[in-house]
Amino acid sequence: MNTFGLVIGLCSLLIIGLGFPIVILCERYLGYLWWPYMMGIGLLITLSSLLILTDWLSALTGILGVTLIWGSTELREQSRRAEAGWFPNNPNKITPPYENVIKKLKAPRL
Amino acid sequence: MAINPLGLIAGATAFLGIWFGHVSVRRIEAQSTKLWHPMVIYLAAGLILELGAFFMSNKALSMVCGITGITLLWDVLEFKRQERRVQKGHAQPNPANPRHAVLLIEPGALATKDEDPSSQSRSTTSDSKIAQPVDGVQRP
Repeated sequence: MNTFGLVIGLCSLLIIGLGFPIVILCERYLGYLWWPYMMGIGLLITLSSLLILTDWLSALTGILGVTLIWGSTELREQSRRAEAGWFPNNPNKITPPYENVIKKLKAPRL
Repeated sequence: MAINPLGLIAGATAFLGIWFGHVSVRRIEAQSTKLWHPMVIYLAAGLILELGAFFMSNKALSMVCGITGITLLWDVLEFKRQERRVQKGHAQPNPANPRHAVLLIEPGALATKDEDPSSQSRSTTSDSKIAQPVDGVQRP
């Protein structure tokens, strides 16, 4: 009997669930233009899991990283939902560094 | 320097699992005339994978089964959530599906096939993309 997969699976559900409020709050207070930063942090966390030798901690770190990467691709969609009135829309968002450069990029959508 | 690939494997599995669920739930919900059919299939597949994870001695394989199984089990709930999004007009209905067609003819139905300027979800934005089935899973 190996409970490792089952426990990691259940933990992944919790971490993925954590992604919902992260995307909603990040879009509300910061705006979707922060997507490259969220993606970068997610990539760094995912890659840092390679250096963690404790198996369960490495696995959870990897899942947390990709949850943020996925979240970064959801920010644009979330902003559309807020514009449509399905979520509260905050007009006073904090603009990200290099805003003009980011605006020229196409926000990813999966 | 020692490298542990387990985190990367876990991350890749979770990402692909979320992606698969995100796309498949929307497509299957739009096509399926009886929603309980895919729900039972996903439930069975999820449970089999969790059982497989329990009996697998290899840590990486056990983890892949565990994560994939859990995402499939979550997708079972997402089928109902997606149906509710269509009912609320937050996702586009499929007029060819009798289950959705009923929603389009019901008096006061929120689900709309065409661009409707009086629809709340569209009147607040000029972006026609909002009419697409934008809500998905898991999508964290």
